[in-house]
Amino acid sequence: MSAINPTLAAAPPRSLPANAFAAIAKHRVLATVLFFAIFPWLMPYQSLAINILIYGLFAVGFNLLFGYTGLLSFGHAAFLGVGAYTAGILIAQYQMPWWAAVPAAIVAGCVVALVMGLLAIRTRGIYFAMVTLALSQCVYFLIYQLPASGGENGLRGVNVAEVSLFGLKLNLLDPLQKYYFVFAFVALALWLLSRILASPFGGAIEAVRENEARARACGFDIERTKLLAFVLSAAFCALAGALNAIHLSSVPIETLHYATSGMVVMLCLLGGMGTYFGPFVGAALFLLIQDLASGWTEHWQLLVGAVFVFVVLFFPNGVWGTLLQKVSHDR
Amino acid sequence: MTADAIIETRAVSKRFGGFKALTDVSVKIRPGVLTSIIGPNGAGKSTYFNLLSGSFAPSAGQIFFMGRDITGLRPHEFAHTGIAKSFQITNLFPNFTAIENVRIALQAHVSRYGLWRRRSALAGLSEQAVALLETVGLAQRATHLVRELAHGQQRALEIAVALAAKPRLLLMDEPTAGMSPEETKVMMGLIRRLVEERTVVLVEHKMKMVMDISERLVVLHHGELIAEGTPDDIRANDLVKRVYLGQGRH
Amino acid sequence: MELTFDLVALQLFTGLALGAIYVLLAVGLSLIFGMLTVVNFAHGAFFMVGAYVGLFAAEKTGSFWLALVIAPMVVAAFGMACERWLIRPLYGRGIDYPLLLTFGLSYMLVEGVRIVWGKSGLPFDTPELLQGATNLGFADFPTYRLFVIAVVAVLLFVLWLLIERTSFGLIVRAGARDPVIVRVLGVDVSRVWLLVFGVGTGIAALAGVLSAPLQGVSPEMGTSVLTVAFVVTVVGGMGSLMGAVVAGLLVGVVESMAVLIFPEAAKVSMFVIMAAVLLIRPQGLFGRAGLMA
Repeated sequence: MSAINPTLAAAPPRSLPANAFAAIAKHRVLATVLFFAIFPWLMPYQSLAINILIYGLFAVGFNLLFGYTGLLSFGHAAFLGVGAYTAGILIAQYQMPWWAAVPAAIVAGCVVALVMGLLAIRTRGIYFAMVTLALSQCVYFLIYQLPASGGENGLRGVNVAEVSLFGLKLNLLDPLQKYYFVFAFVALALWLLSRILASPFGGAIEAVRENEARARACGFDIERTKLLAFVLSAAFCALAGALNAIHLSSVPIETLHYATSGMVVMLCLLGGMGTYFGPFVGAALFLLIQDLASGWTEHWQLLVGAVFVFVVLFFPNGVWGTLLQKVSHDR
Repeated sequence: MTADAIIETRAVSKRFGGFKALTDVSVKIRPGVLTSIIGPNGAGKSTYFNLLSGSFAPSAGQIFFMGRDITGLRPHEFAHTGIAKSFQITNLFPNFTAIENVRIALQAHVSRYGLWRRRSALAGLSEQAVALLETVGLAQRATHLVRELAHGQQRALEIAVALAAKPRLLLMDEPTAGMSPEETKVMMGLIRRLVEERTVVLVEHKMKMVMDISERLVVLHHGELIAEGTPDDIRANDLVKRVYLGQGRH
Repeated sequence: MELTFDLVALQLFTGLALGAIYVLLAVGLSLIFGMLTVVNFAHGAFFMVGAYVGLFAAEKTGSFWLALVIAPMVVAAFGMACERWLIRPLYGRGIDYPLLLTFGLSYMLVEGVRIVWGKSGLPFDTPELLQGATNLGFADFPTYRLFVIAVVAVLLFVLWLLIERTSFGLIVRAGARDPVIVRVLGVDVSRVWLLVFGVGTGIAALAGVLSAPLQGVSPEMGTSVLTVAFVVTVVGGMGSLMGAVVAGLLVGVVESMAVLIFPEAAKVSMFVIMAAVLLIRPQGLFGRAGLMA
């Protein structure tokens, strides 16, 4: 995984695709936002486009921790779920407006991440995947038992029909307008992500990924760095959860399942860890495979598992990551 | 207490489970004096070095740095006291370029948690990084990835990264490991230049090099301090000669 | 609920039987990690496959006893094939990759079982000989649970002998300490990896067959048990067999006793234990501080 370092201009790439990619990389936020602005017209139906945005955001949050910091968590469903249930309960049962519920969901996700992180980061790296899995199962059990969550049936009635802010009105019953509602949040999130990655902290987390022992010897407080990365990662995932709750008008209990944690790992790996755009590519691929394969057979999960195994063995950099590598080698 | 020792260990011991790696080692290392720690294999040199650099804490005893008790400080805090170590096995950031390696090490002392500003805009870091690369002779290879560097160049980069902490005390763990005679000569020249501005402590196996370059030697054997003195003192020391007899010459 | 001595003793005993199964799982996981440095995310899936193969074997042969032997062997063979062809290519690539692969593998195994045996759970009858209760002098205990505890105890003893007293075990222990040295000494480490993975997955399969009469079999049974296996491993300390035993029994007993006293908390009780261990002794009860990162 090569770090796309915005600070250092390497020898100018000679081939056209490489030049194009380098230019895009420099203005990655703009490029991604523009792409997603026209995205609904590239997809067969808007609901798929919205799902790709939301799952992509979920994967972006996970990628911050896994691709950039190098920490493999198998418990990220907890943050998606906490975000979704927090926003959902606040909207459905407390009639809170969306512009308060969504930030509340993010805060809730961060708090849960803080607690989980304080427990998980104390351990040696190899435990991290196991501890995060176990803790997220704990969150699942706790939320399942909450009367407000609706248990097995999930949460219903998260109805936000219309949003208005500063005079601009969006009717969320129209899929296209709903897309742009979600898009606004994702664009903001992507901008923030870019700032984080380009900041000193962004350098610190990559140092942790590259060589934790060396980073510690250089003077970085590794535990604090990891914890902050964990909490930031959860913030993005909680936002994705809240948006999903509004999108579906409900929160299924599966949001908190281990399978959801596993899915986001797959999304990230399929797309390309440690790349800016990879998570969206992974989300699109996964959703497309799921869409197509579930049309053929109800056992599409076998195909997904096989694809994942194949990618781990032969294309560990994912689709987008491999593409980027090929382009940057064409110098 | 400050003037006569830059770093001092008082009766430090270190156990790993049932195994006692170091017993009661009391050493004062004087500022500006190039000191080497030597001893046969298994003498505890690496363990002692790890104590000096803060990789782990002693099981018993204390460590003082410039008069301040630093026993038990966490590893990353050591880097901020003014102690830096270059590693025996090249321990760099593999997918970064040479200059990125040094920059990130410099950054650790400037702004660790800044989330908002751009790290590319951090004042002067790039210039300082280039200067450090020049010190170790790597300025031409600044934009090369670590894996594109020859072994000797990677060892040099190791030192540049350690120097980024602007240490008063530089610990060098076998800096010439795996180097050809030419590369070793270059490294020795670099070490002599480095001693001008800071205290350097070495662990080395190449006896000729150690005798050539050191002003003082500390000899460990089976985790204990058996001798200390100038190279001439050590050459004449019977106990040291016995300990090294049969170890083979290097 | 009135807490009579009989009731408490029964729950305690149930906890031991449950814990015994957890111990088996954790031991297999620990062996695989200790020797191969692989966190086997398919461990629950192998447990589940073992249960199904056991069911199949019991139906075909009419004998639970045969199933108890056949299932672990079949699954171990399959496990070894997975190690040789799927996991081994990933060594040296970083500790996350084998983990990810086993995770993908678990997906495939679960779905594969669904294809062959259907999505809903199937019952598994307790063999006649082990039905009913046995009187141990001071109380009656379910015979089957007694059997489970006995089998696990014997197996642990055999494992202990294998690891502490044979040259194979010596290699496993040495490999766990320093894989490089073992290779340098000329031992064919890849053969050992193969066998250890086989033994680890075989034990998981055995645990699956043993647990089948207690809860039936279902494609999802592996997922919930994976969490427990991880919790037990974290509590006991990775790479420590003693830790697996103590932690497994502890988790099983606490869970069973919690059902008596505070049923809502029963499922969460193991996480409370894990959290406590993480706060007080992060390397696990029997883990060594500074073990593998």
